[in-house]
Amino acid sequence: MDPLISLRIHQHALVLHPEDELSCEYQIDAVSPSSIQAVEASVMWYTEGKGDEDFAVHYFERYTPSDTIDGDLRQLHYLRTKLPPSPLSYDGKIVKIRWCVRVRLYWDHGREMHVDRVFRLVPRSAVSVSSNGLAQALASL
Amino acid sequence: VPRQFRVWGKKRGSRRTGSRLIGRLGEGVFSAVLFLIGTILLTALLTSYVSQPRPEMLRPGFGFWLTVLVLVSLMLLGGGGVARAIRLMTASAERRSALARRKRFYEIHGQPPKRDLPTVPNEANLINSPGVRLTYRLPANQSPAWRLIASMVFCLIWNGAAAILLVLAGQSFFDERPEWFLTLFTVPFLMIGGWAIFDFIRQMLIHTGIGPTNIEITDQPFHPGGRYRLYLSQSGRLSVRFLTVNLVCEEQATYRQGTDLRAETKKVFDRQLFRETDFTIEPGIPFEREAEFEVPPTAMHSFQSEHNALSWKLVVHGNVESWPPFERIFPVVIHPC
Repeated sequence: MDPLISLRIHQHALVLHPEDELSCEYQIDAVSPSSIQAVEASVMWYTEGKGDEDFAVHYFERYTPSDTIDGDLRQLHYLRTKLPPSPLSYDGKIVKIRWCVRVRLYWDHGREMHVDRVFRLVPRSAVSVSSNGLAQALASL
Repeated sequence: VPRQFRVWGKKRGSRRTGSRLIGRLGEGVFSAVLFLIGTILLTALLTSYVSQPRPEMLRPGFGFWLTVLVLVSLMLLGGGGVARAIRLMTASAERRSALARRKRFYEIHGQPPKRDLPTVPNEANLINSPGVRLTYRLPANQSPAWRLIASMVFCLIWNGAAAILLVLAGQSFFDERPEWFLTLFTVPFLMIGGWAIFDFIRQMLIHTGIGPTNIEITDQPFHPGGRYRLYLSQSGRLSVRFLTVNLVCEEQATYRQGTDLRAETKKVFDRQLFRETDFTIEPGIPFEREAEFEVPPTAMHSFQSEHNALSWKLVVHGNVESWPPFERIFPVVIHPC
């Protein structure tokens, strides 16, 4: 059986604004501590749509068993980071920009898996940003 | 159910169905073999050169250096491939991105640089020219002169080649040994050449007949919901059917399809800011107008990444009597709120 990765973003409705502090927690379960090689957590944006994928990591942390006293990486981890002013989430026709928190687990000698939680980075003055205007943005919420 | 081992993988866009680990291992082994071949053969070559010196070897020739060059290339390609495979196998894409970002920061400044708006294009190039009426004079995206020069160069080269083919084909007819294949090959060449002449004349008419278009604005970058003024100036000797200025937003995406690199553009916003119809422009007296406009409050900011972009621009469309329609583009930058 594959391990479980639980990941929760604390902010309500998963909507954040530039310069807000993103806080989330994640935990690994259903796997023996000795088989976990590393855990990585990233806050990143990536593009979707017609073009090749672009992405950039805003925040990154990596833990190996040597980083903890008992070598057990299954403990609850907290992540906090201040979000940048751009790029904002965008739902266009051939270009889409998504923000997510990604937790990647390396286990069992070379196997890896990851879990993403998508959130929206929107301007303070607007509910959302969309190529089709406010109506579509409101409909998508 | 255990996964069945597959000899061949399939390509699904930029993804493949096969195991990524096996693929990277294969790439690493291939590069290691290249590196080993290069190293062993280069060592053997240099050893034989040093251990068995012959008089002709004292002045190594072109062949010797070419062999050394090829073997060193194999070593470098193989070594680089092995290093790349190791990097890909030992670090996730996120970790590589984070390391590269950190390295870039510290290489340049010794500390993280102040980059206020990641992925938003820099507007420095748009605000380095002061305006006469308003604060900034916007640079045009593509100078009409460059388009004219490109059209002229293409026209000359293509029609030069077409003329040579035409002469050869004509010669064969005069010699009563007609080259039918060459003749058939020349026909589409001449057709494209005719189009190139037409395009060149059209560009020349636009360049010489329709004078320069200038746009000045009160501020740059724009912000969503902000109100700005623009000043339009059009010179020439023209009888204008209509002249418009639009605020346009386009999404641009580039992607690989097989070995081709393709680009696609989609207009997602187009709002007319100004329109004037049926007027005349006299030489020396440019047409001048000011207009106020608002950037939509929900406008997405300008965005630029390696394969995707969202760009805003002011587009001037003109339709004048006796001239082909023209379009001039002035990029602008919108910052997030």
